[in-house]
Order: sequence, then structure tokens, then C-alpha cells
Amino acid sequence: MSTIYQAKSIRTMDPHQPHATHIAIKDRHILAVGTADDIADWQSAWGPLEVNTDFAERTLMPGFIEGHAHMMEGLLWDYHYVGYYDREGPDGTIWPGLKSIDDVVAHLKQIQDTRDDPSEPLIAWGFDPIYFQGRRMSAADLDLVSAECPVAVLHASLHILNANNFIMDAADVKNADNSEFIRRDDSGQPTGEFLGQLGMYMAMRTTNLDLLAAASSPKTLQTFSQVARQTGVTTCTDLANPVPEGAEVAMRETVEKDSFPMRLVVAFQGNSLPPEESVARMQALQDKQSDKLRFSLVKFVADGSIQGFSARLKWPHYYNGAPNGLWYIEPDRLREYLTAFTQAGFQCHVHTNGDECTEVTLDAIEDALRAHPWPDHRHTLQHCQMASRAHFKRMKTLGVGVNLFSNHLYYWGDEHRAITMGPERAGRLDDAGGCLEEGVPLAIHSDAPVTALAPLFTAWCAVNRLSSTGVALGGESEKISVEQALYAITMGAAYSLKMDTEIGSLEVGKRADITILADDPIVVGAMGLKDISVIGTMVDGNVHLNQGRDA
Amino acid sequence: MSQTLPLRSAQKVSLTIITGFLGSGKTSLLNHLLTQSGGRKITALVNDFGALNIDSELIEAQHGNQVSLTNGCICCSIGDDLMRSLADIMRQDPLPDHLIIEASGVADPTRIAAYAAVDPQLRLDGIITLVDAAAHELHAQDPYLADNYHKQIEAGHMLLISKPDLVEASQVEHLEAKLRASHPNTPQARVRHGQLPIEVVLGLKAEREIKTTTPLAPHIEDHGLASWSAHLHGNLSREVLAEKITSLTPHVLRAKGVLRDEQGAYALHYAGGRIHFENLDVTPSGHFVLIGKPELPNAEALTNLFQPTGS
Ligand SMILES: [Zn+2]
Repeated sequence: MSTIYQAKSIRTMDPHQPHATHIAIKDRHILAVGTADDIADWQSAWGPLEVNTDFAERTLMPGFIEGHAHMMEGLLWDYHYVGYYDREGPDGTIWPGLKSIDDVVAHLKQIQDTRDDPSEPLIAWGFDPIYFQGRRMSAADLDLVSAECPVAVLHASLHILNANNFIMDAADVKNADNSEFIRRDDSGQPTGEFLGQLGMYMAMRTTNLDLLAAASSPKTLQTFSQVARQTGVTTCTDLANPVPEGAEVAMRETVEKDSFPMRLVVAFQGNSLPPEESVARMQALQDKQSDKLRFSLVKFVADGSIQGFSARLKWPHYYNGAPNGLWYIEPDRLREYLTAFTQAGFQCHVHTNGDECTEVTLDAIEDALRAHPWPDHRHTLQHCQMASRAHFKRMKTLGVGVNLFSNHLYYWGDEHRAITMGPERAGRLDDAGGCLEEGVPLAIHSDAPVTALAPLFTAWCAVNRLSSTGVALGGESEKISVEQALYAITMGAAYSLKMDTEIGSLEVGKRADITILADDPIVVGAMGLKDISVIGTMVDGNVHLNQGRDA
Repeated sequence: MSQTLPLRSAQKVSLTIITGFLGSGKTSLLNHLLTQSGGRKITALVNDFGALNIDSELIEAQHGNQVSLTNGCICCSIGDDLMRSLADIMRQDPLPDHLIIEASGVADPTRIAAYAAVDPQLRLDGIITLVDAAAHELHAQDPYLADNYHKQIEAGHMLLISKPDLVEASQVEHLEAKLRASHPNTPQARVRHGQLPIEVVLGLKAEREIKTTTPLAPHIEDHGLASWSAHLHGNLSREVLAEKITSLTPHVLRAKGVLRDEQGAYALHYAGGRIHFENLDVTPSGHFVLIGKPELPNAEALTNLFQPTGS
């Protein structure tokens, strides 16, 4: 079917024709972009074309691209959301933010009292105690939900877990050796809070549930794509996946369906195998790709997180004096991997949070490129939250792109000012303005499920640089304009995935991936970006309307 | 409902963590340990099978990320998810006797050890830190890794000085002295090409193992360790024995024996600077073994110390 969609406004992200009102779609691709005046020409050249006015009062944009998210977002909706902020579920339900520990307990208690089998483990996620003035959740709190079944609450960071006494007893934690990863109260008793992956491990051991399994099961993929659709995302990454033998086939079966509303770019977890085997696995995945499923990236995680005090920072390190963070992969090993994948011609995305890690990664990339020159490698630094202007200049020279974690400004901005970085360095956290001024290709991301998947919100963060309490981080030089932010969530991300010839803008010949918005972001302006309602999307020209919205 | 595991009552698995920088010899050590398991069912979680280079005659089967050896040991690759790999192993039935985790070069071993704290079926036996004699200065001053390096040494229940043959003897001694000064309570040993009796490395904290392990190999060569074994007769009180062993520090690393005194039969176990006694319900064999550095007194002096004539 060939169709002309009429819209109130079309923001194309194509500099030749930034604004339009009509777009023609044929065979999954964009046939033409223009105005009512062009329709007659289109009809005579390619007609007959049906004119569709379903979105005549809407704004169309290139489908949003989330360059850094995780499929786990799809898995977690099997459990219960208990975050501080409202969050939209895959079916369009808005789960209201829970503003106190008591609210969390009451919410879970209500679920416990009404579910079919109250003896099953009760798992919740998205919890973040930093907003509760120092009060931490305890096992006793969760015993109020139930003391008769396992109750576990996973924090937003995914690196802390609270358990009730049922789990603690099963794991015999009272008699456990001392460990800095088990939080204890003043009298030395474990509080029920476990750091790192300890809590997750304990919950898995005591419930026999594999909490993180089935990360590529059809159901998880479906949920993931629904969350994406609700927020206008038409291409989403899973950064990263070890893609065990056979997983690629299973994924493709689900993703290929026209009813599946998303293109999926899976980054292969590079260090899940030794370098040579890893390159071979990546090569083997290449002919398993399709229009909607890509195995085009390799991902490495080089350090931890800033808020988890595990990012590798340069002197003077953490503002509160915490010891420097952790390498998740040895710098020499990282160099070895990057060299192997550069030689083999695969684009690498490297998670670097702290500035020391960013520097070490740039060193490794430079070494890899000296050995195997490759002008258009587009290796990309992910998060890269503390990069300085000097780092951006170096990225520019090396041809390295960046995908900044702009949502951090809002969710952890206050914490970065007060605890992790101090006001001065927090001011240049996720410096999108500096990045663009130095000429480095920019994308911005949510790292869902760590923060909510919602490109317009991410754009709002990069444009306004406000923390959740309204405190500004940095000044004008770190901000970007609304236009630049919209570019970052479309063409910027497409470039970072080497898909900018296919998607990212609405221009002739590209795939018909479109986001349908209730309002025009350029007209709404900086402060309103995050509140624009997403009506639905088109992927390959197939319309996917959101639930919970009037079309 | 999904089953909740009775974790407390079940069998226990001893956990040994081998830590050390890339190239410090973790793999050779592990390889050597697996070939002399002495009847223990050991599962090893490693970063890279290939590097392990297991003798093909020893391999019974390979499935995906798991290799089974003919001696009952199993080797699994960690991939990039230690937590998941560990959970998978702890779900196996039957469980291994001993689990050895090869930590990645930059891992903080205390983070790995923490798993044992929340898993009643997992008991931390010890953290073995490999210190590369040839690269020590480099690592200790590495601008990016020095803090990691010191953390690993700090965490070690035993420090193994690897590659002593690659540097001047005086340099090794200097390194050992330095480590002894900063970590006086952490035993040290030298290891070449990973060759070290398994008893030196496993069982640092073991209480029950003493009853089941096979006797030590009588001749220990090429790893810079000395051993002495004897049959001690008659009553030997626990206090006196403890004193005698302690008098041999820092040259003694391990001691074990099945002995008796006025209170009855007991097993003695000394490792990591700690002495442990356990009451036994058997007729004691009197078997006694010491493992230590070359500086241990000679056999005659040891016989005199532990079984002076006339006692
Ligand atoms: Zn991520």
C-alpha cells in the first residue's frame, strides 16, 4: 500500500527540507516529503497514492533511536515497579512514583494481598532510597509485605537489593561472615540491604528464580518493544548481549514480525569470549542479521558507575573521599580486544563512566588505530559522563563518537553535586554542549532500565540540565538547543549505530520509521519537551498506535 | 510455589579464589591444581578455557562452556557473568567438594568472596594472590592499576610469588621481605610454572578435609617448598604442639596431623597462620606433615622439636 500521510507538522531532521506537512510511503520506505502543493506531482509520478489524514493534527518526526538501553527493561515489567518517579508500563499504564518507604511497602502489601499465589516470590524493582532523606529500607519493612514468602526489592541502579527476613533466614545471613557488601546497622545486624550483585545472587539462590534469565525470550522482547513504542522509539539497542548460540535465531523469529514495533540493534558483549573466539562469534552473527535485527556492534564495559563509586576517576577522585572505582576489564585486555575488533572491522562501543577510564579507552583506541588504520570506525564511548573538553578534542581527532547519559543530570544530579563529584565537576557532567562544540558526533541515552526509556525526556535533560530538585548543573556552554537534542535522539543515534543512511531522518529513500507526536517539539520548546504525548510509531510504514492515548 | 532451597542444612562447598594480574600465572596454577585433585571433586570457574591448555587425555567431555575431566573435576568458563555462573554451579546436584574461581586480573577478590557470606552452602576457604616477581615493580607503580594491585595483595590469605626464576634471587628475596614487612601475617610461597602441592593452596580454612585427603606427596621439588612428615607417637598435647608449630613461623606454611593427647584423639590443621583442632572419634594414626619454606629446620632438628627422644 502506498500512502501519503498528512500531518500538522513534520520535523524531518533533514537540512535540505527541515519542515514539511506531507510524507509519502511506499514499500516500507519514504517515497517523498513535502507539502500539500506537492501531492499532484507525486500522484502523477507514482500514483495512485491514498491520502491518510489520521494524523492531520499530529507532528511527525523520524522514529526516535535509543542508542543505549538493555533488553532487561522488557524483563523487569514481569515484576513490580516501585520507583520514585512515575513510569509508563508497556501497556500504557502509568505507575505512579512512590514517595516514601511506607508507600512502597503499602503498594507491595496490596499486591501481596490480592495475587493468586501469595507464597510465590514477590520481586520489585526501580527503588531508589536517595530521595528519602537518609532513611534506608530494612528487612522489617519488607516483612510487613509478607514474612511468609521471599520479598526482594531491586534498586534503580540494579546494584543494590533489599530482602525480607524470609530470604535472609533462608540464606542464613545472620551467621554470615562480615562483608562490606552486606549493610549492617549500628548493632552489627544485617539490615536487609545488599550491595553489588550479592543481593541478586542471594535472591536467586533462595527463590530458585533466575531473575535475569530469558533476556531474549519472545515475551521479554515483546514487552521491551512495547515500552519502546510508548515512548516513540522505533530503533532500540540492547547493549549488550552475550548472544549465546541459537539466541540469534530465536530473536529473529520475534523481531521479524510486522507486528513487532521496533528495530533491534544487539551489541555483542565482546568480553564474553576470549578475543579470537569473540571476533569469530561476531563474524558468525553477521549473516544472521535482517532489516529489523542487527548484530553490528561490539560492547565493552570498562569501569563501573559514578553513583555506585565504581567509576574510574582521575585525581582528585571522589568528592566525598571514597576510594577510586573499579576496572571491569583490564586496560591491557581492553586494548587487546579493541585491536582485534578494529582489525576485523567491527564497530566497538565502550562503557566509560569516569574520566580516567575515558582516557584509558581513548589510549586503547588510538593504539588499535595505529595498528589497523580505519577512517570510519565510529567507535563510540558510552556514558562518558566526565569527559573534559580535552577528551572531546581527542575524540574528534580519533573519529570517536559519544553517547552521553543525559538522564543522569536529572536523576542523580543532586547527588553528583553533593557527594560524588562536587559542584564544579558536576557542572560538566554529560557535557553535550562541549561535545558538539568540539565537533564530536553526539547521541544521548537513558540506559533503560536504569532510568526510564523516553528520548524526549532525555532530550529535555540535555537541553535544560536540571536535577530532580530543579538545581542547574553547569551553564549555557554545557546545554544544547532543542534542535540539537532532537537531532541527537534521531540522526545522532543513527550515526552512532552506522545506520544513518537508513534511518534517523525523514528523507527520500530511507526506511519509513516515524514517531507520531501530539505536539510539535520545536513549538513546545525546551521546558515542555518531556511532556509531549507520543501517539504511536511507524516501523517500515506499519502503524503501531500506543495504548492509553487518543489517536 | 517455586521451591525455596533449604540452603542451611545442605552440603558445603569450599571456595578458593585465585587472584592476580594478567600474566601472573593464575592459569598455570589452576591447571596444576586440577591435575592433582587427589580425589576431591573440584569445579573451576575460569576466564578462558583455551588458556588453561588442559592435557587432552584428561578431558572426558566438553559441552558448551563446560569441560569435564576424567578425574571428576569440572571446568566452566565465566563468560562475563560471574554471578550467573556461580548460581548455576551451586544449583548442580551433586555439588562439587571445592570450587576454585579464577578472578579476572582486575577483580576485587573481596567482592567475589562476599558471595560465600550469603550462601550458606558456600564456605570461603581462602583468597590466593599471585604476585608476579618479574612485574611487581611495574604493577605496584602502574598509574591506573596500582590501587587494584595493592587491594589484591591486601585481600590475600596467602601470597604466591610467581616467576621467581625470571629475576635475580636477590630481587625475589627483596620482594618477599617487603611483602612480609607489610603483611606479616600472610604466609608466602614461591611458585614456578604453577607447580605447587594442592595442599598448600586448598584447605586454608578447612576443618573437615583433614580426614579425607590423601597423604602428601613425599617429594616436593622445584617450587621452593620443603616438607617433612613423621609418625608421632604417644600423647602430644594440643597446646604444646601449637607452640612448637608457632615457633617455626614465618617458615612454616601448613601443618596437619591426626594425633592424640589426654583429652583424646584430635585432628590438627594449621594454615594461614591459624591453628585449628578437631576432636576425632578414631584411633589416631600419628601421621604428621609440615610444609614450609626451604628455611625450615632440617629433618633432624624437626624430629628433635616434635618428638624428642624419650618422650
Ligand atoms: Zn548500560
